[in-house]
Amino acid sequence: MPLAGRHVISVADFTRDEILHLLDTAAAIAQGPRRELLAGKIMATLFFEPSTRTRLSFEAAMLSLGGRVLGFSDPGSSSARKGESLADTIRMVERYADVIVMRHPRDGAARLAAEVSRVPVINGGDGANQHPTQTFLDLYTIAELFPELRAGRCITVCFAGDLRYGRTVHSLLHALCHFACRILTVAPRGLELPEQYVAEARAHGIAVEAVPSLHEAIASSDVLYMTRLQEERFPDPVEFEHIKASYRITAAMLAAAPPRLRILHPLPRVGEIATDVDATLHAHYFAQAANGVPVRQALLALVLGALR
Amino acid sequence: MSESAPRIRHVEAIAEGTVIDHIPPAATLKVAQLLSGAADQVFIGINLRSERLGRKGVVKIAGRELDQRALSSLALIAPGATVSIIRDYRVVRKFAVPLPERFEQVARCANANCITNHEQWPTRFVVVGERPLRVRCWYCERAFPASELALL
Repeated sequence: MPLAGRHVISVADFTRDEILHLLDTAAAIAQGPRRELLAGKIMATLFFEPSTRTRLSFEAAMLSLGGRVLGFSDPGSSSARKGESLADTIRMVERYADVIVMRHPRDGAARLAAEVSRVPVINGGDGANQHPTQTFLDLYTIAELFPELRAGRCITVCFAGDLRYGRTVHSLLHALCHFACRILTVAPRGLELPEQYVAEARAHGIAVEAVPSLHEAIASSDVLYMTRLQEERFPDPVEFEHIKASYRITAAMLAAAPPRLRILHPLPRVGEIATDVDATLHAHYFAQAANGVPVRQALLALVLGALR
Repeated sequence: MSESAPRIRHVEAIAEGTVIDHIPPAATLKVAQLLSGAADQVFIGINLRSERLGRKGVVKIAGRELDQRALSSLALIAPGATVSIIRDYRVVRKFAVPLPERFEQVARCANANCITNHEQWPTRFVVVGERPLRVRCWYCERAFPASELALL
């Protein structure tokens, strides 16, 4: 499957087979790391906006396959601060590196960079728009936990929290449309899943159902995908405190949960998952974050043509 | 003199040029402004009776035939309008404004955080719905009613 030379901008650019091939490649790399696979290759990380997790995970992926890394993680130290256009920055960097990983605060910046660059651009998050590698690692995690997903048997995934603005939710939902599943949603009023995403899922034959609270979600899901509620979405701070309390998962709430339920979260969490959940068999968010490395290793190896 | 009721022209006839008919009334002035040059003779009718639309706008631009870019802009702000090319007071060609699959460099993205509003870069929109016309920005991937976009 020819992924060599491909830009990775949006999940929507990838077919089901391409996504599965990426997941298979990630699983193979996780089994047996290849320390010299990307020797001699250089990855540039252009982080116009800070991101600890994504940047470190990409760097760990590249370094562990023998490649080298250059770049910046503080936009204040980049030439963008001097007023250089993004297009010009890319025209310069593409001459120094074999692949570019970029995070940018503006929506659509990654697509623009890809149109300029002759080397593959991997989107590490463009504003509120896309973050495809997060989706790939989410899907990898779900497929690892529930192999029946790939076999075409239905699993139930519940999205909880800010479903209106949460780009990880929209993007994962889009990817799940390639598989048989049932979607549940639980969100505060005003932060429900936008109708266009519900319509898209239903067009793929996927049932989408809103449930009234986390208790119903816990009782009837295989995967509970939690997201952060951001205070700035709530004009009234009292209302925010009230809603935040009803979107918090604790170990006590999981006492009667079905044993197969797993809780995922793109992290960082800020209180929506109590720390006492970490020790339960349902907590899987740190393992999920760790999957970022093999998935990004696979992606780098594929777009750089080191693996087919 | 004929017995039948005289045909009343609501907007002056032109000898040569373009007539854009069946414009949604609210878009009429925008169409006139967009398609005419500073020195053009332009005749405008707004809120004229229309069987099809109830009310409509008409714009007549003397001495000018629309190019591809102008047609593309027209498709964005007045989808469903009809265009007649006039030569020697006669209609030599009449057609509905064709809806392109994409709009290139005719409008600004309505998403203030879209990269195209912060870099010198041509905009591009893909048509995702026809009635009413909805487009999606190629870059930020947001979808908008065409009426929300500002023309370049």
